[in-house]
Amino acid sequence: MPHDARAAVLRLWKAAAGERWRLAVATIFAVLYVVATLATPIYSAYLIDCLWALIQASFEQGRTFAVSWESGGAQVLGLLGVWTLAWLFYSGQALVMSGFAERLNLNLRKQVSRKINRLPLAYFDARQPGETISRVTNDLDKVSEVMQRGLLQLLISTFTLVGAVIMMTTYDLALTGLFALAAALSFLLTKVVAAKTYGAFDRRQAVMGRLSGKVEEAYTGRAVIKAFGDEEKSFQSICDDAEELARAGAFADFLASAVAPVIRFLMRLAQVVIALLAGRLLLNGTLSVGRFQAVFQYITEGSEPLTEVSGTINLLQGALAGAERVFFLLDQNEVEPDPKEPLALPEPLRGRVAFEHVRFGYRPGCPLMKDVNLVAEPGQKVAIVGATGAGKTTLINLLMRFYEVDGGHITIDGVDTRSISRSELRRSFGMVLQDSWLFEGTIAQNIAYGKLDATRDEVEAAARAAHVDFFVRTLPQGYDTVLTNDAESVSQGQRQLLTIARAMLADPAMLILDEATSSVDTRTEQYITRAMEAIMEDRTSFVIAHRLSTVVDADLILVMDHGDIIEQGTHLELLAKGGRYAELYQSQFA
Amino acid sequence: MTTKDDSRQSKAGTTCDTDVVSGECSPAEGAVGRGAFALLGRLMAPYRPLAVAALVTLLLDTIGTLYVPTELSALLNSAIGAQGMGPLWDHALRMLVAAVVGSGSCVASYFLAARLAADVGRDLRVSVYRKSLELSASDFERFGTGSMITRTMGDANVVQQTIVMCFVMILPVPVIAVTSVVLAWGIDPAMGQVLVAIAVAMTVVSLVAIRRSAPIFLHLQEFVDRMNVRLRETITGVRVIRAFGRERRERRHLDETFEAYAENAVRVNLIFSVADCTTFFLMNVVEVLFVWLGADRVGVHAMQIGSISALVQFAIILLFFMMMAQFAMLQVPRALACLTRATELLELEPSIKDSVREAPAPPAEELLANERESPVAEFDHVDFRFDDASEDTLHDLSFAVRRGEICAIIGNTGSGKSTIAKMLLRFHDVTGGELRVAGRDVRDRSLADLRSRMAYVPQRAWLFSGTIASNLRMAAPDATDDELWHALDTAQASFVRELPQGLEARVTQGGTNFSGGQRQRLAIARALARKADLYVFDDSFSALDYKTDAALRHALSSELGASARLIIAQRVSTIRDADQILVLKDGRQVGLGTHDQLVETCPTYQAIVESQQRGGDLRG
Repeated sequence: MPHDARAAVLRLWKAAAGERWRLAVATIFAVLYVVATLATPIYSAYLIDCLWALIQASFEQGRTFAVSWESGGAQVLGLLGVWTLAWLFYSGQALVMSGFAERLNLNLRKQVSRKINRLPLAYFDARQPGETISRVTNDLDKVSEVMQRGLLQLLISTFTLVGAVIMMTTYDLALTGLFALAAALSFLLTKVVAAKTYGAFDRRQAVMGRLSGKVEEAYTGRAVIKAFGDEEKSFQSICDDAEELARAGAFADFLASAVAPVIRFLMRLAQVVIALLAGRLLLNGTLSVGRFQAVFQYITEGSEPLTEVSGTINLLQGALAGAERVFFLLDQNEVEPDPKEPLALPEPLRGRVAFEHVRFGYRPGCPLMKDVNLVAEPGQKVAIVGATGAGKTTLINLLMRFYEVDGGHITIDGVDTRSISRSELRRSFGMVLQDSWLFEGTIAQNIAYGKLDATRDEVEAAARAAHVDFFVRTLPQGYDTVLTNDAESVSQGQRQLLTIARAMLADPAMLILDEATSSVDTRTEQYITRAMEAIMEDRTSFVIAHRLSTVVDADLILVMDHGDIIEQGTHLELLAKGGRYAELYQSQFA
Repeated sequence: MTTKDDSRQSKAGTTCDTDVVSGECSPAEGAVGRGAFALLGRLMAPYRPLAVAALVTLLLDTIGTLYVPTELSALLNSAIGAQGMGPLWDHALRMLVAAVVGSGSCVASYFLAARLAADVGRDLRVSVYRKSLELSASDFERFGTGSMITRTMGDANVVQQTIVMCFVMILPVPVIAVTSVVLAWGIDPAMGQVLVAIAVAMTVVSLVAIRRSAPIFLHLQEFVDRMNVRLRETITGVRVIRAFGRERRERRHLDETFEAYAENAVRVNLIFSVADCTTFFLMNVVEVLFVWLGADRVGVHAMQIGSISALVQFAIILLFFMMMAQFAMLQVPRALACLTRATELLELEPSIKDSVREAPAPPAEELLANERESPVAEFDHVDFRFDDASEDTLHDLSFAVRRGEICAIIGNTGSGKSTIAKMLLRFHDVTGGELRVAGRDVRDRSLADLRSRMAYVPQRAWLFSGTIASNLRMAAPDATDDELWHALDTAQASFVRELPQGLEARVTQGGTNFSGGQRQRLAIARALARKADLYVFDDSFSALDYKTDAALRHALSSELGASARLIIAQRVSTIRDADQILVLKDGRQVGLGTHDQLVETCPTYQAIVESQQRGGDLRG
């Protein structure tokens, strides 16, 4: 259900800029179509009466009758003319509208792709990717589904129904009343059933989600299930949920499909009664054959949309709610813009990085870093150690301005990072994260991500320096191997090597490295270590360190805990101090 | 776990030209085997009465649907014939009966169809899951977790929905065609023939339309997938994208994907619209045709004027259902592709079967004595090779794990450490030599017996949604709370005591509400809750800091002193106290002995020790 349907409609209207003419043209065609459809029964009434008169005249003269151009044929073709007119209007609106919804969606999707670049990291860190993806795909699909057919169908249905009732009144009031009653009843019924259907689908979705989760969990952990001989229990639990899903699914499917026949039944009941009444009128001579048929044509035309109207209204509500979810995304706060006249970093960059009284918290009122001060001199290697959640990543987040400090300054060669543009700041850093991100493209494209115009030689040189050249060459397509989404052919360690090659090629002044933990085997780890050592040469580097050698060799060690730096110094200084670091180091040999 | 598969896959990739990088084929390309229909037949078999009932009600429904206009025109005819109200009542009554029977049957057939489809869908899901439990590790990896989830959930859904659609939208078409022709024939044989001609013409048009639009329609799914992939990529890679300042490039790529989708979606919509409009036009032509020809037939006394509208109704109903069927048919290839994929899985022979070589059991006392004397596990010249590999992953391993001893395995990955653990649990079978557990070949033991002797801590600490207690009781269903607490304490998982709900604390899917180290300790506690002959720790201490690692090892030795322990590790410090250390290099046993012996004699071990003293881990 949308929170504010009016606002959502208005925004959709705005988003439809450039395509609104389609809506306007289609509406005009739709109205004309309805007029044409409502006119046809009148014409066929005239036609049938005309033919019947001709036939009866022939019979009275004892002749048989055959349609020819002079006797009825022209009138019959006239029916084709009226219908063709209706068809033209219908086709007009259908064709004009066939591009409307997807173009509207394209506009919105383009707004999203623009928005994604402006959202702060906080937005992404707080959400599963699937949530955002679903807004762009599923929610907008709901919008297009309704816009595509639903919207005009609703218009046509309503107009046709009202028009049919009005036209019927010109024939007979009692018949009209009966039909209107049946229509109203049907409408009420669909409302009630539709609400129930909605609930049933909701429930099915919930059970489906639960079962999906269970299956995913069981498949991922199947070694554990088998090791502990838990197969039967696990199977039983999946069976139970599958059974529940089957019941919920059957019920939802049934409800969704059962409305139409029930409404058709109501309309058939009305037809029976109306047929009796109309038959009597015919006997009395107050109704002609043609008009009798016209009445039933109106009933058919008017009742046909009934089954759809309330379904469409539900869909419409769902679509507006979906649109609101997209607008929610578009309305998120954006990162503060770069300064109007950004300063530039000195050229060449020496790479002196300083934190001065930096304060920061992810949530207002929950300070994490209270007063962080540190200086990394040009070319120094800074090791960051601490438990998970101690704030190692936070330090990187602030350095790269993925998040903004709440107080204090971070400077590079004396320039406050907030006074330069983000792109300039980030260009000066190379970053290798543990969660190695590679995109769907060739290995060469992935390595050249930091330097798009790199030649193949440069790419290979970077790969060699990162000790990944050999591995790439074992792949059938070498550097042109396309990495797919899951890229199962490339292991975690190799992925990290590729990201090191990528950073290598970009040749940044400063570096941020996140050392691999357990998922990498010893040999690959050695490659990674060597590659990292190579890339850190002569560059100011920040390393989230897991390896003792990295830490021992560091020029500066930052020991973090609960978001703050609790100790800093060299290995020897910190050992002498006998604090947390010393304790951590000693435990290795306990 | 991924690294293992990778090394295997890349091996396969270099030796033969298998498709390592691209994923599985899309349903558009997948050949639909006869297996799909056979499987559908098997799935439907238990519900034959249900299916027959659904078909019968469907038939009654269409007869009702067509009988109403027939009677209506009959009523009109008798009114024109001025036969008085009597016959009118008669016809109205028939209409009423037709309406009640028709609509009632329709509701019933929808009910039965929904139920049938749901049951078939459930059976498909359940049999896929059942099969997954039978598969060995390498069988399962052939499909991969993601694909298996799709097979269990998505594929079954598609099949289920398509069955419903078949009943509601496709199956009525032939029934309506036959019934309406019969009824039209009854009114006037000549008009019946006209209707046959129209039905045939429409079928041809529909088939052509389906043939032409199906590929485009399936193609659209690929664009949807691309949109998903690109979005996911952009969102998960947001840090890297910004770090490299590639926002504009990513935006352009996203926009291109969106545009490509929109273009194709518009094209598909256009095709649908044209089909829709064409049907509309045909309806018009047919109506005019019936009026013209109908008037001619009335003119020669072959039928009555009121019947024209019945005939027009027949034709319109037929065309309407044909159009619906046309849309529904587009779903069918997808469902068949899903069924084919399911067949492929369901017909796979598991490479490991429960005690295939049922060996005669020796007399009980001898057996017991034998068990007591034999090592808990003994590798006797064991080789192991993956199906698709050209080299042994493990070659000629011979060592024994004894009661009260710690056996450790160290070596780089690709050296096959984890495979050893998996062979003990019979996730993989030896391809050479023999692996004996308590004196008997593992293949002669039932899987249940074999696995009940072991407690396993996997490399990737995986927990199941539920509570801490429910997770621990997986290993020991009858354990008391005290026993569980004891296991937790031994596993250094005292943080559970600080949780407000203690043992009943919620665990989310995979245990993601606990940190990596906590998960690992809970997984250890789970194994400890079980009284086993052999405890297998597959690189289970990696996420622990040195302090916890050391404390845990102390606790374990006092706790499990009498059992055998197999510890697979990466850190020398974890295993230096082991009674024997097996050093693996590229799947070969290059050293076996104590730490002190190996430091002297084994170059590979020396290298590992050296590298770790220079650069051990430091995890806080």
